[in-house]
Amino acid sequence: MAMENELITADAVEASEYPELAERYQVYGVPLTIANDKARIEGGMPEPMFIEKILQGIGVKDER
Amino acid sequence: MPLLRDADRENLRKELDQLQTPVRLVFFTQALDCEYCGLTKQVLEEIVGLSDQVQLKEYNFAIDKDAVAQYHIARVPAIAVTRVEQPKLLVTGNEQPRERDYGIRYYGVPAGFEFAALIGDILDVSKGDSGLSAQSKSALAQLKDPLHLQVFTTPT
Repeated sequence: MAMENELITADAVEASEYPELAERYQVYGVPLTIANDKARIEGGMPEPMFIEKILQGIGVKDER
Repeated sequence: MPLLRDADRENLRKELDQLQTPVRLVFFTQALDCEYCGLTKQVLEEIVGLSDQVQLKEYNFAIDKDAVAQYHIARVPAIAVTRVEQPKLLVTGNEQPRERDYGIRYYGVPAGFEFAALIGDILDVSKGDSGLSAQSKSALAQLKDPLHLQVFTTPT
């Protein structure tokens, strides 16, 4: 996703190596995706649903 | 002792043989107080050893402040996956390759799922194509504000 827009940055974080981050974001299951520090997307899912949830989560209307 | 098994190494070598455009793994490490920096470096060195098209550039998180700022690195170990693009037009003959940073970062040892994801990213970044559907690409291209994604995983 980060490749598609210069405004997007994507971090893959190994949760067990950064316990302070895991605690801050309350990571109890993986994968857990945090978008702009506010939206939580738990688990894996098909690509269209994933992108929809992220855009919804950050308050962007998906006009596809 | 190598981390990759022989069979895995050969499969990986075949995958990396497809690379047409070089990829740089920009690695941030530090000597003290970094439990997983050494292991991360070993993983990266094994990957880089399999292909001339994968480069490793190492910075010290505690010392190389300019690079830390340039790549917006938050903690160590960290890896930025970038594309090394040759200039299209050679005018003077001295043009340097340009590094394209897509904003892809790995924090922690890339093992298990993250290892597979890292290899996938190396292939995608080299191609310059995310592999997403046309619909996804168009939805993401419309974003007007920064989007920072953090994907938490564990090795198994």
